[in-house]
Amino acid sequence: MASVSIRNVRKSYGAVEIIKGVSIDIQDGEFVILVGPSGCGKSTLLRMIAGLEEISGGTVAIDDRVVNDVPPKDRDIAMVFQNYALYPHMTIADNMSFALRLKNIAKSEIAAKVERAAGILGLGPLLGRFPRQLSGGQRQRVAMGRAIVRDPKVFLFDEPLSNLDAKLRVQMRTEIKEMHQRLKTTTVYVTHDQIEAMTMADKIVVMHDGIIEQIGAPLDLYDNPANMFVAGFIGSPAMNFIPGSIGGDGFTTEGGDRLPLGGRVPAASDGRPAVYGVRPEHFRLADEGMAAEVVVVEPTGSETQMVLRPLGAKTGQAGAGREDRKRELTWVLRERTDAKPGEVVRIAPDPALAHLFNPDTGLRL
Amino acid sequence: MSRPLRKLLDKAGMAVCVLLLVSPALLFFLWMLSLSLKFEIDNGAYPPILIPDRFAWKNYTTIFEGNSFLLYFWNSLIVTGAATLFALVVGVPAGYGIARMKAHKSAVVIMIARMTPGLSFLIPLFLLFQWLGLLGTLWPQIIIHLVVTVPIVIWIMIGYFETTPMELEEAAMVDGATRWQIFAKVALPIAKPGIVVAFILSVIFSWNNFVFGIVLASRETRTLPVAVYNMLSFEQVSWGPLAAAALVVTLPVLILTVAAQRQIVAGLTAGAVKGG
Repeated sequence: MASVSIRNVRKSYGAVEIIKGVSIDIQDGEFVILVGPSGCGKSTLLRMIAGLEEISGGTVAIDDRVVNDVPPKDRDIAMVFQNYALYPHMTIADNMSFALRLKNIAKSEIAAKVERAAGILGLGPLLGRFPRQLSGGQRQRVAMGRAIVRDPKVFLFDEPLSNLDAKLRVQMRTEIKEMHQRLKTTTVYVTHDQIEAMTMADKIVVMHDGIIEQIGAPLDLYDNPANMFVAGFIGSPAMNFIPGSIGGDGFTTEGGDRLPLGGRVPAASDGRPAVYGVRPEHFRLADEGMAAEVVVVEPTGSETQMVLRPLGAKTGQAGAGREDRKRELTWVLRERTDAKPGEVVRIAPDPALAHLFNPDTGLRL
Repeated sequence: MSRPLRKLLDKAGMAVCVLLLVSPALLFFLWMLSLSLKFEIDNGAYPPILIPDRFAWKNYTTIFEGNSFLLYFWNSLIVTGAATLFALVVGVPAGYGIARMKAHKSAVVIMIARMTPGLSFLIPLFLLFQWLGLLGTLWPQIIIHLVVTVPIVIWIMIGYFETTPMELEEAAMVDGATRWQIFAKVALPIAKPGIVVAFILSVIFSWNNFVFGIVLASRETRTLPVAVYNMLSFEQVSWGPLAAAALVVTLPVLILTVAAQRQIVAGLTAGAVKGG
């Protein structure tokens, strides 16, 4: 087990800078997830920790030892790849023991370690088979087994679940989390799926365009996003953003509706343009709320998701143009509803759970 | 038209097309077989006879009796074997290196070596071998066959190594393997089908090579293709023994090709589709 310290790390290919100065502190035994849209540099960062990519600037340290120039084999890490990367010409047992055999460890010890890992992952009956004879989920487990056997300082996962179907993904998510709770090995995990990040991580690092947008515990990011990117990326369905301006003790939308701020008006901000952010589940029906036309109703059983088009106090009617569609709001309610498309509902956000953002910088006010 | 009839016609059409395409190669072969089994009198007959009344098995015994055919067979075996073995030893790691370092320019240089007509460097090399006193041994032929075999092996192996996923090697790297261990324990075993193809093609090209042998070989160091050519004399062409000899020369390559047919097809299409 070990801590990992990433200090002002940069990566460029020629003139193109992929990672623009990133610093992360990962504690011993922590489960950290790097999340972000594709192309944000999260996989590159992971490969730099693994030693598979050169570091253009800054330092990566494992247990206070700077490993910038240490080859992967001497970093004492194990990695699980997106496409599993199992050696096709070796049996499962040989795949799992490959690293140990390279170290010339005694055969009996290798057998014991492989057996233990196979036991943890339920791979016992498969040890004599070849990777091609295994299903996707089983291969995934073997890839994890290969990592466990080594008992490394750090586990690295590169989008390990993205090749699995939805049901299996949920199951493997639980297994990986369980494995971490059992082994308590420092883990760095890359995914583009924010649900994976929310459900598994001790700490989430949200990346975007080669920089870190925010680092924090899952619920912390959900409740207190630092900016509009994080607010929009974490949480599904995504947060509603309503442009308008701050005035008096409330917020006026571009359509002229008044939204409450709950007395949390930032100082000297009268008339200042802002974006009002509210999560789909934080609306409620209210007689004095803003009027909106129901566009689509999507019941899932446990909850109902509704797409609404605000009528706007000024015009009193909903449009259907491109701009109007951008202003559409998502509302998620736990209780069943008999609302039909075309009906008009009045809803109000919970001011205690709403956020205000600077429309220019995207930062939370 | 009814469906079964249509299907039948489709099949028949397909069969005709295949026959048309394959027939030239097949006819040569059948005619050679026929020649080798006929007496001279039948070989000269008009209209030609395909299947004779009496088989002339003696054509086959003649070639083994009259010539040092076994010696030439042995020579061919040594030259092809050594040239192929050496090509694999050099070419497989070279192909791996070029594929991994994306050294496409050096791949082109090797291609140029392959495209240059053998005759253009045959004369200087002949003088060189003479100076070195190697003429009269098999060494000149082994060395010059490398010009054919090494590029084939390198090119096939480049293609093959380029299709093996990089992640496997990265996984081995993380698992603690050195560069050589990665090559020997991961890349090489996975490339086995590619190596088989390279081996077979190298054998075929080297075995059938004629030009180098005719210039460099002395009476004792002839390879089979040269030996067959020498059966033609000014006074008389004895078709029967000639065809028999040609068949015997072709046989090892033929057996090898048929035995490894599936591997060859796999190797020639390697890289055409991304394997899943």
